Amino acid sequence: MVNGDDILASIHETLASIPDPELPCSIVDLGLVEAVTMDDPGRVEITLLPTFTGCPALDMIADDVTRKVGELDSIESCHVTWIFDPPWTTDRITERGRDSLKSHGVTVSRCGGAPSSRTVTLQTSAIPCPWCGSDRTRLESPFGPTRCRSIHYCDACQNTFEDMKRLDGLGKTSTPDPG
Amino acid sequence: MTAMQDMMKDPHVNLVLSLADDLLMLGHVQGDWTGLGPILEEDIASSSMSQDDLSHALMLYEHLGSRFGLDPDVVAYERGIGDYRCCDLVTVPDEFDWAVAFVRRWMLAHWATPLLDHLIRTGEDDLQERCRRLRAEQALHLMYLDDWMRRLGTGAVEARDRMQAAIERISPLAGMLVETPDGVATSEFDALRSDWIAGMEEVAAAAGLSLDIELPSPDTLGGRRGVHAEHFIQQHTEMNEVRCADPGASW
Repeated sequence: MVNGDDILASIHETLASIPDPELPCSIVDLGLVEAVTMDDPGRVEITLLPTFTGCPALDMIADDVTRKVGELDSIESCHVTWIFDPPWTTDRITERGRDSLKSHGVTVSRCGGAPSSRTVTLQTSAIPCPWCGSDRTRLESPFGPTRCRSIHYCDACQNTFEDMKRLDGLGKTSTPDPG
Repeated sequence: MTAMQDMMKDPHVNLVLSLADDLLMLGHVQGDWTGLGPILEEDIASSSMSQDDLSHALMLYEHLGSRFGLDPDVVAYERGIGDYRCCDLVTVPDEFDWAVAFVRRWMLAHWATPLLDHLIRTGEDDLQERCRRLRAEQALHLMYLDDWMRRLGTGAVEARDRMQAAIERISPLAGMLVETPDGVATSEFDALRSDWIAGMEEVAAAAGLSLDIELPSPDTLGGRRGVHAEHFIQQHTEMNEVRCADPGASW
């Protein structure tokens, strides 16, 4: 008889080994895994959060999770669901994830701009450059190589780098009141 | 009655479809610019926004599909022409004039914001949750488009003139966006229209561009009731070509 906790531990270990297809980071370190539940022995439900709704990697990630968790002993079936509440935010990225992203020239800035009722404010300056550490950086484009990254330029070392995009206005309380 | 007919009789569905169909068609039409944007960053941004628009349309079709027991692709593609609720502004040919394509997208992004707020206030839980997400992502488009509007309006003379000309070309058609869908109370829409115009006027003023939006004139209307222009039908046919040639195809 295999202990349920052992099975859950091995599921988490498996999830931590699945890389995001577009980032040097596991899906666990990226903060995509919201919940793993096993109400019936051997039947696993995994809830994931998409970074951006238009991310083309979502199907690939769901397939990887279903296949790799499904191959574990004692697992009969694995079902993946994407949900939007709670929203994924960059706060969910682990320290290990941040370190790995940074070593590949992708920063995770902590402070967003002040939320405005109509638009979002991306941090446009003072993200320390992951290459040289200078604060003399600026936003080049909010649309980068993947949906979740913006492009920045460092005036000090003249290199580009990317930042994990942060969206304001995702919380339930931040919707402007009518009128 | 089929599930599809059932769906089309619900007034709130018309409202959700008006936005979903605008985003689907605009995402498709703007896809023509992929590889042709004026600079690399703009090309990537435009393609990214089109990709977002298609996924945002899908989020809304999924919501309707789950309510009425229909596959979201069936909701997206298998309605008759008269059951599409997009306004025909989204398929008006831009004749590969970047400023025209840009101004159209800018106006639609400004419209999506008050409409999504409205759906967040009035929709059921699943719709609210989805619209909150869409609003945050559309707000990113708006930030980007507003920024370019200001830069081009206050930039070189040629940039300013081309933006102004594009605004003048699109403005007479812009009222199509705010045509009240069938079954939706006009009073609900009045506040949304004012929000839409105020948002655009603020940016246009900062950009030094003059903007004169005319509210719906009857001869441009019909899209929200399913009465569409020839250019919508052409784009719709093109979009469905693969689906019609090989139903159920996947890759």
